[in-house]
Amino acid sequence: MLTLTIDGSEVQVADGTNLVEAAAKIGIEIPTYCYHPGLSIVGQCRICFVEVEGMPRLVTACSTEARDGMVVLTASQRVKDARAAVMEFLLENHPLDCPICDQAGECYLQDYSIAHGLDTTHMVDERRTFPGLERRLIGPHVVQNQNRCIHCTRCIRFTQEISETHDLTMKSRGNHSYIDTFDGGPFDNPWSACAADVCPVGALTVKEFRFRARVWHLEDTDSICPGCSIGCNVTVGHLKREVHRFLPRHNPAVNGWWMCDYGRGLAQGIEEREVTRPAVRSDGALRPVAWSEALPHLVELLRAAPAARIVASANLSNEALYLVRKVLVDRLGLQVVVPVDPGSPRKVKDGRRRWVASVDAHANSTGARLLGLRLVDATELRRFVGGGDGPLVILDERAHPWLASYEARSAMAARTIAVSARHQTVLTRTAALLLPAASWVETEGTYTSSTGRVQLARAAFAPGAMAWPAWRLLHGMAVAFGAASGPDTRPERLFAEIAATVPAFAGMTYRALAAEPGLPVAVEVPDVG
Amino acid sequence: MAGAPTAPVNAAPPEDVAEVRFDAALEAEIGRILSRYPTTQAALLPVLWCCQERWGWISPGITRAVARRLGLSPASVEGVLTFYTMYHREPPGRYALQVCTTLSCQLCGAADLAGHLQRRLGIGFGETTADGRFTLIDVQCLGACGEGPVIQINNDYYTALTAQRLDELLDRLE
Amino acid sequence: MEPILLRARGTKDSRSIAAYRAAGGYRAIAKALAMEPSAVIAEVRSAGLRGRGGAGFPTGVKWGFVPKDSPKAKYLICNADESEPGTFKDREIIHVDPHMVIEGIVIASHAIGANAAYIYIRGEFHAEALMLQAAIDEAAAAGMIGHDILGSGFSLEVHVHRGAGAYICGEETALIESIEGKRGLPRLKPPFPAVVGLFGCPTVVNNVETLACVPHIIERGAAWFAAIGTERSKGPKLFSVSGHVNRPGVYELPMGTPFREIIYEVCGGIRGGRALKAFIPGGSSCPVLPADKVDVGSDFESVAAAGSMLGSGGLIVMDDTVDMVWALDNILTFYAHESCGQCTPCREGSDWALDVVRRIRRGFGRPEDIETLERIARYASQGMTICPFGDAFSEPIKSFLKHFGHEFSAAIATARPLPDPKTPVLPLHSGSGWHGNY
Repeated sequence: MLTLTIDGSEVQVADGTNLVEAAAKIGIEIPTYCYHPGLSIVGQCRICFVEVEGMPRLVTACSTEARDGMVVLTASQRVKDARAAVMEFLLENHPLDCPICDQAGECYLQDYSIAHGLDTTHMVDERRTFPGLERRLIGPHVVQNQNRCIHCTRCIRFTQEISETHDLTMKSRGNHSYIDTFDGGPFDNPWSACAADVCPVGALTVKEFRFRARVWHLEDTDSICPGCSIGCNVTVGHLKREVHRFLPRHNPAVNGWWMCDYGRGLAQGIEEREVTRPAVRSDGALRPVAWSEALPHLVELLRAAPAARIVASANLSNEALYLVRKVLVDRLGLQVVVPVDPGSPRKVKDGRRRWVASVDAHANSTGARLLGLRLVDATELRRFVGGGDGPLVILDERAHPWLASYEARSAMAARTIAVSARHQTVLTRTAALLLPAASWVETEGTYTSSTGRVQLARAAFAPGAMAWPAWRLLHGMAVAFGAASGPDTRPERLFAEIAATVPAFAGMTYRALAAEPGLPVAVEVPDVG
Repeated sequence: MAGAPTAPVNAAPPEDVAEVRFDAALEAEIGRILSRYPTTQAALLPVLWCCQERWGWISPGITRAVARRLGLSPASVEGVLTFYTMYHREPPGRYALQVCTTLSCQLCGAADLAGHLQRRLGIGFGETTADGRFTLIDVQCLGACGEGPVIQINNDYYTALTAQRLDELLDRLE
Repeated sequence: MEPILLRARGTKDSRSIAAYRAAGGYRAIAKALAMEPSAVIAEVRSAGLRGRGGAGFPTGVKWGFVPKDSPKAKYLICNADESEPGTFKDREIIHVDPHMVIEGIVIASHAIGANAAYIYIRGEFHAEALMLQAAIDEAAAAGMIGHDILGSGFSLEVHVHRGAGAYICGEETALIESIEGKRGLPRLKPPFPAVVGLFGCPTVVNNVETLACVPHIIERGAAWFAAIGTERSKGPKLFSVSGHVNRPGVYELPMGTPFREIIYEVCGGIRGGRALKAFIPGGSSCPVLPADKVDVGSDFESVAAAGSMLGSGGLIVMDDTVDMVWALDNILTFYAHESCGQCTPCREGSDWALDVVRRIRRGFGRPEDIETLERIARYASQGMTICPFGDAFSEPIKSFLKHFGHEFSAAIATARPLPDPKTPVLPLHSGSGWHGNY
């Protein structure tokens, strides 16, 4: 550790800390563009100049390591003048696109121009432009506007150092240099939208979010990606009960600053539903009912003989799965399986540039396992669903892709089926009891990633229509079968029960989960591919 | 002036270099180049020169082949190649007339010479004559300022030029 | 003075090893290889040799920065990128006496412990690359390069590496990036190449002319070398003289020779009997000097005192027909074309300054333009940029405005307002298809 003085205040930092990070430690924000904590240091934007006592010239804070006894000034007149000049250079060719630019409201150029720039410019000549690269879809998810580019090279370095796809490059040189792919081909790697994340301006933006909402109107909710077992941390950007985007949320232990395009794309329509209210089928027709009528139907099915079989889901939260175990397995002695679909292999870099790989397509198969439930593959699922004569209760129409197939429907043709679902599938169209499920963003809960971390996902808004999250449905069953103390509960209380009774979760609380980026659980972490 | 007249470049048409394979001779040359450096990437500029000598320019197909051969991404090879002005990215004419337009040559009449060329050939800088014979390019200081005005034609320097000597020179280039 | 670097001028087949040896060449190699590397460095240091590429840094001191106990390979690079406008002396050395450079390379490599040397030569110098390769082949055949040279135990391989059209690759760290097969972008310093250079190893980059001086220092001694020139600018110097003189060319002169003597005696005066208006002493990156400075001595310290730099010794002479606004336009065109584009002040400032000067030239200047140009120059120099390229275009702006600001003011005073707010800027073309439309 060493001690240095920044703007008159002492700060202690570890060896090798650069001045940007050292200043941030005491709440001083030095403006940066090319610097990104997850990428290499290039020192080329020249906005982060600071004055260091004893050095005749200003130095770039990002590329200067703190030394013991260093005295740094981040706001001297010299520094201010230099910063204002660099801002002017950056804005000199930059188009006044703010009114039509998605980056507005989270744009470093806007922010630092206000904080450090001049009120005006000396530039009266024509700005240089890049005809043909001004609103160009360069890949499935990224839109380029090269006129806005400030040549920080973060996007290029992202493709070299993080995605390792090396698919973006700088072409030509000088003031005519521009970002492009090889031969103008598609910018199509599994994490391409992260290049838009790291772009400090609107030169690279995400297609799916284009023109949808102004970022200052959005509410942001901390959540987890539902796409696979890794559990990348995300921020859900939503407005008036509509989800507009997922952004990766920084977590050094899981996903660094990154997430894959597939996971990010799950934000689209994630809150939409086709099943809006409970319904009971009688005489072939589905009759909408209130929950007060639907719940007793479900209780009957669970009491039935021959015994009901339960298909739970690895997409459900720890709280829901805990109740599955406590009520359906332990109390009622029913057979329960949690189907696991390996899905497409996914991976992401953590905060130390190591690859983290998915083990399956679900957010919580690890949670299901730790809570003592039985995980099955597609073959065993088929056998399970085909066996026995009792009813089938399916807690998630997406518990496994096979459940949406006609083969599954034939296998279950003769059975009485209860389904909790958000969308209509062949399953829901033949169900005897149909229950509306809350979506991922309407559910508060914890999930256990295959990297061994328990993580908390907040609900962005309360469930719409008459949808219930799975934990609430199961708590209703717990009350009906006398396994719960009262009619009301919250996920936080359920989690407290889990922490008290399941050793893997011992000592954890929601408060701790909210404060930390997830808490580690003792589980074997799968080998990365 | 040089003794023998400048040799023309017969640039391969685009369809011939959409996909390329390196033949044994080129592979041998690449092998020799690689032996001069401890890293493969360092061979990039010399290998690009070899390819330009063989085909007259660097097409996307050649870029891909070079990238494959050296274990680099095509995007990064393209980024390198576009940084340097001497790699042609379109087929040049048989003679690339690279006219120095920097200060010392201008002080000695390079502008008049450039004007003369443009009138004689009917093209501007960055263009090629319709018969594919001449490409006219404005370049920066060629490092022969004491003998200006200077024009480099393909690999050869022609110095102390006047309009008349230039005309005589061009007449001899087929 | 007796010709030293260009002693072989006029000799038949001067590039051959036979001619070089007949003139006394390749004697210094044997002497140097028998010396300890540290002794070679000491000799070069006390000779006072300063880099001839433009920066004028003491060569012996630079060699001394290479860590002796580093286990890494060391590299010597000969910088034959020669792209500074007005500079053409390295080309002359290669044309006349490439073996002198080779011998310098061998001795320098021995001094720093390098077993591999690269000559980075600008792509346009195709004939010169062949000349150097021919000299290397001859030297290798004669045992001056290769394994266990002259039984000394010292081995060296020398390779020619061609650039491909980028002035910035004359900057030593950009040159290193270029050899490594990348875009020629200068690196952040520190670390300096002597510690982390080519392939991450200790590297020394020396100019052609600097290396050509080395055999002479070894053979005839540091004291002899230091007796030539001035107090702090030692040794012979090649001056490339171009522009409005009657006899442009490369001349070997002692440093300190007044520019008046160079222009009027050595080079036969201004063409057409016209009057001298201005001269740039050391290549276009150096501040321009008005005619009344013509008595300044051509050494590093005198030129610095006069407000410019000796640089590479590329003397550009302008007579009274020259429109200085036009001249600055031309110079800035060069720098806008050559900026690598990495850092903000240079990438944006070089193009912006060019736009302003062109607009003034076309008769649409505004009074504020002078202040704008000064502001651009102030904030693209003195450490604002990663490398001295920012200073390279800022110094011309500052000096042109200082000495010839009246021409700019006059152009602005007679300016009209723009009929169309869009003033077209000339597109930059080089190479077929380079730049696309941008």
